Formats: sequence, structure tokens, C-alpha cells
Amino acid sequence: MSAVATASRERRRRRSEDDGPGHASGIAVAALASAFGVALLQGTGLIAAAVGADPVTGSSGTVAVLLRLTGLVFVVIAVYASAVVTTNTFAVVVAGRVRMIALRRLLGATAAAERRAVAREGLLVGAVGAAIGLVAGTAAVAALFGAGRALGALDGTAWSPADPIALVPAVGVLLTTWLAARIGSRRVLAVTPMQALGGAEEASEEETRASRVRSMIALVLVVLGAGLLAVGIGIGSTDASGLLIAFAGGVVSFNGIVLGAHLVIPRTLRLVGRLTGSSPTARLAAENAVRHPVRSTRSTVGLLVSVTLVTTFGVAIRTFGDMITAASGADPLYYAGVDAALNLVTAVFSVLIGFSAVIAGAGLVHSLSLGVLQRTRELGLLRALGFTVQGLRRMVLAESGQLVMTAVVLGLLLGTVYGWAGAHAMLGASPGMPGLLFIGVPWVLVAVVVAGGLLLTAVASVAPSRRATRVSPVQALGAD
Amino acid sequence: MTTALPIGPVAGPAQDGGPVVAAAAVAKQYGSGDGVVHALRGVDLTVRRGEFVAIMGPSGSGKSTLMHLLAGLDGPTSGSILLGGRQIAGLGDAQLTALRRDRIGFVFQAFNLVPTLDVLGNVLLPFELRGRGPSRDERAFIDRLLDELGLTDRLHHRPRELSGGQQQRVAIARALAGRPDLVVADEPTGNLDSRTGREVLRLLAGASSRHGRAVVMVTHDPVAASHADRVVLLADGRIVAEHGRMTAEAVATAMLGLEDGR
Repeated sequence: MSAVATASRERRRRRSEDDGPGHASGIAVAALASAFGVALLQGTGLIAAAVGADPVTGSSGTVAVLLRLTGLVFVVIAVYASAVVTTNTFAVVVAGRVRMIALRRLLGATAAAERRAVAREGLLVGAVGAAIGLVAGTAAVAALFGAGRALGALDGTAWSPADPIALVPAVGVLLTTWLAARIGSRRVLAVTPMQALGGAEEASEEETRASRVRSMIALVLVVLGAGLLAVGIGIGSTDASGLLIAFAGGVVSFNGIVLGAHLVIPRTLRLVGRLTGSSPTARLAAENAVRHPVRSTRSTVGLLVSVTLVTTFGVAIRTFGDMITAASGADPLYYAGVDAALNLVTAVFSVLIGFSAVIAGAGLVHSLSLGVLQRTRELGLLRALGFTVQGLRRMVLAESGQLVMTAVVLGLLLGTVYGWAGAHAMLGASPGMPGLLFIGVPWVLVAVVVAGGLLLTAVASVAPSRRATRVSPVQALGAD
Repeated sequence: MTTALPIGPVAGPAQDGGPVVAAAAVAKQYGSGDGVVHALRGVDLTVRRGEFVAIMGPSGSGKSTLMHLLAGLDGPTSGSILLGGRQIAGLGDAQLTALRRDRIGFVFQAFNLVPTLDVLGNVLLPFELRGRGPSRDERAFIDRLLDELGLTDRLHHRPRELSGGQQQRVAIARALAGRPDLVVADEPTGNLDSRTGREVLRLLAGASSRHGRAVVMVTHDPVAASHADRVVLLADGRIVAEHGRMTAEAVATAMLGLEDGR
């Protein structure tokens, strides 16, 4: 190959790296959420069809409707998680392009037009991701159907993949991705043409000073929700309707926590960072994790939502089971039956909700990669001053671990409280129930969540860490 | 502020006036085949203890490459580089990393402080990277250094809360804190106004004359070069002239001569 071609290829490779993480992770997130939703709804459709074909249960359409409704709840959770992640993804894409946008602004483009362009990309990313998900999700269920028929298990079941309800999650993902891109691109408006002239400063992400109003609303929601939760448990000790009030309290307070995550997560990150030790690697990682509080919050909140929900269901079901067992005088035979059923329910729910953790993980990778990309000079500096390659790798791993563990610790705590409250609000009124201090902790689930967190930490740091170790110490010196 | 720097005990094997870094027949090529670029074509340069050397030359003359090689940031294609009597050409990345950490101080054009660390954290960073804090003796030296550089009341400021001149003084404190054999400065005044720039140059000159460090500075600013004990002119990857102390005018004339000769 000629030298010119090599050079131009090299230049292209560099440029694509300089542009920062592109839309690959945005598309991946949209496709994951869409595939999950489509597969879930198609799957429940298939189950409903199978049940409908059974002469005993087939008489009522209630099963089908209930299945679909339950499925929809999990779809909403997944789409919500993907929207949170995508907002961050787009904020990150814009941050990587500040110089380019500033140059175009300098040459006469309006801020609104620049933002519209980014939002249009969001629509495209959403459309591609949703379409991939629609095909993949439907194909998965169709394969399942084919396998079932081949085994003779689904004889007499009429099922067609052309189910209009499968479009719901795809369209939902498309719209939320577009919306998330619009929200994430807000900071295009803050780019001034002057930034095209400046030196190669780190593209500092504007930390939208969290508005007081937002913090106030979050606080009100948390207090109100906690109050409702307490009232629900109180009523629950005499009447089962307490569950509804407690449920409302849980929803309200958790929304308050998500809304006010910018107040909670950076503080928790600091605490977790302090626990990681006082070596320079750990300290630098801890400082990096809180350097962009908004970005760190966004990249952990998705994970927080899924860990909290999984833990809530796990603790609620475990406490529920243990309470019934305690009340029924601990008949070992009865206990075994209940235990198996509840374990199965916990496992199925955990997998369904836990899928949003995969989506959140994709966002985490993206955010860590950007952090590395924006600190190229700083990493070069550390290498020049004597930081080893292993040191850099440990630093990225520590940063990843701090973000993940923050979400896991907070989620486990919140979920335990919610699960405990739910079980007591539901069963407190039944005769022979143990007192309010009774709680059942699903230790297996907790262990799985922690292990999953460790796995995610390692997986999420692979790509950013590779990028970080490619930085040569010379890059600290150059002006470009 | 004063420009006097405290005198630290001798670090490393270099004796008074002995060579700290000695490059012999150093060549560096990038790429291969038709696209090969000869950044350096056989350079000999020795910098002694207590000496302040300015390396000058037009863009593409190889002055940055030479500095990278002297500082152990990159390895030469051929030739020998002795740092404190030790051959560093051909060392692996891990060894070069340890060498930079223990023997070399850096001052950059863009200051390059770690934004998440305060002033003291930045100055102590090289010690942290060695995996041990400064000894009592080293700590006393650093305190004097920070005092002389006028940074004592800024120890817990973050870099963004400081002016450019203050940031560069922090960078100089960081470079000198570990009492390295060699201090390497890359256009240290490039981002500063002329008055602040002069102050920084006096500090670097003091680091060599009073403090005994070997200082190598790459610059294209004749005024900056006029502060050095020796000016080395590079063109097309070769040393084309070496002078003792020069006035800024003489440096500028010599540089113009290089441009004309091309």
C-alpha cells in the first residue's frame, strides 16, 4: 500500500477516534429495549394463544389480557431505562463535538439549527434501533414457536408474528429516543462560536446547576411518598387496602429519588470512593467519578432503577413467604411448596426487570469511554509523570466499580425498604402475622445482584481501559 | 515574589558539572518505505548539571522529537542516550515510566495540572505515583519550594481557580519537588503574557543555577531562549549551531538565518 494511502487511513482512524463515541451505543440501547419489549409482548401473545387452545382454560380471555398487561409493565420499565441512558448518550455525543459545533456556529449556523440536527440524529438512531429490535424480538419468539411445534407442544395453537401490539414497544422506543436526544442535546445551545478559537482545553461539560425547583419537587415527593408509605403500613396492620396506599407511596417517593438523584448519587459516590482506599489510583478514580456529577448521576440512575426494582420484588416476596410460613406454624411440607413457587416468581421477575440493567450497562460503557476520551491529555500527563499502564487500567476499573457499586448499594437499601413495606402493608392485617420488625432477605438474590455488579464493573471497563492505555505520554505535550 | 529557589541536596549520580544527559548519534524515523520521515538525523548533545539549555528551530526541525527522546517519552531508532550514566535507548515502557517518575520533571505549555487535584495534590503527585509519600526531609524541601514560589496560601485551590502564571508555578513546583536529574520544559511560556513568562523563565534559570538541575527547554521564542546558558539550533533533524548565552536579538537573527538557508 502506498504511503499516502496509509497516512490517510491513519488520519481517518484518528479522526473517528477524536469524534468520540458515536451513535453505536445509542443504537444498541434502543435495539436492546425494543427487542426486549417486542419479544415480551410477542411471547405473551404466544402464551395466550397456547392457553386459548387449551379447552379447559381457553374459555376466558382474562388470562390473555392479564398477561399482556403484566408484560406491558416490564416493557415500560425497559423503555424508561433506555430513555435515561439515551439522554446521557446524546449529551455525551454533543460534548465530544463541541469544537465542531463551535466552528459551524462561527461560520454562521444558528444554535437552534445545530440542535435540530442532533435531534434528527436521535430520530434516526431510534428508528434504526427500534427496527432492529422489532425484527430480532419477533424472530426470537417465532423461533420459539417453531421449536414448540416441532416438539409437538404447541399443536393446535394458532399464532402469527404479525401482531400489531408488537409495534407498541418499537414505536415507544422510537419516540423516547427522539425525546431523549432532544433533552440530551440541550447543551448545544451553550456552545459559543468562541470555543472554536480556544486552545485544546478539555471539552468541559456544562454542569447544569441543578435547579432549586427540581430539588424542591424531589424533596416534596420523597417526603410525601415516605408519609404515604408509613400510612399504608399503618392501615395495613388492620386492613389489606393499606397495600394500595403503600404502593402509591413507593411510586411517589422513588420518583422523587430519581428526580433528586443529582443530590443523592454524587454524595454516595464520594462515600464509596473513600471506601475504595487511599492509593493514588483509587483517589484519582474517585475524583473522576464525581468530576461530572450530572453525567455520573445519569449513568448510574438507570442501574439504580433496575437494582431497586429487583430488590423490592425479591424482598417483598421473601418477606411475604416468611410471614405466611411463620403464621401457618411452619409446617415444613407447606413451607417447601410455598418456597418453590415464590422462588420461581422471584427468578422470573428478576430476569424481566434485570434486563434494564443490561441497557443501563451499555450506557455506563459509553459514559466511561467518553470520560477517558476527554481526558486524553490528562492521561498522557499521568503517563509522562510515571503512571504505569497497569495503573491506568486499575484507575478505569476503580472508576467503573465506584459507579456500579453506588447504584448497587443504594438500590439494595431502597429495595429492601420498599419490599419490607409492601409485604407488611399487604399482610399486616392477617391473623398471626409477625411484628413490623420482621423481614425476609433473599440472600441468594442479593448475592446475584452483587455478583452481577462486579461482572458489569469488569465488562464496562474493558473498552474504556483499552482506549486509556493507548494514550502515549507524548500526547500530554502536544498542543493538539 | 522572589525568583530564588532553595538549594536541595544532590540527587542522582550526577556530580557537579557532570553530564546529566548525553545523546550520541541519535536518529529517529517515523513510518517506513516511501513514507519514512527522518525527524532526527544524528544528533549529539550533552547537558550538564546546573545547565539551562534552550533548543530552538523552525517547525519540523525535530526539536520536539529530541525533547521526547531526552525525557524518555519515546525511544530513538538508533544512537545512544545516557541519563545519569544509564543507557535509556531500548528500554521498555515500564522501565521508561519508572525512569520518568524518578528522574525527570516536566513543565508543559498548557500547564497540564490534574484538574481534580488541588495545588498540593498536584505537587505531591509524583511521590504518590512512586507509591510512597515524601520523607520528612523531602517534605521540608517541598514546603520551602512552595513558599519561594508564592504558593503557600493557595495549597488547597484547584487549578481552575488560579491564573496562568500561578498554574505554571505549580507545574514548576511539581517538576522540582522530586529533585529530578533533568527538568524538561516544552514551550513553558507559550500560554503566558510576557511579564508572567519572564517570571517563569527566571524560575527555570534559578532551578539550574541555584538548584543545580539540568534544564532543557524547547521554545521558538527568542526572548525565552535568551534566558538560557546555551542555545542549540536545530534544522532538518540536525544541530546546525550551538551558542553560549545570547541576546534575544542575536537568537532572532540566527533563527532568520536558518529560515533563509532552507
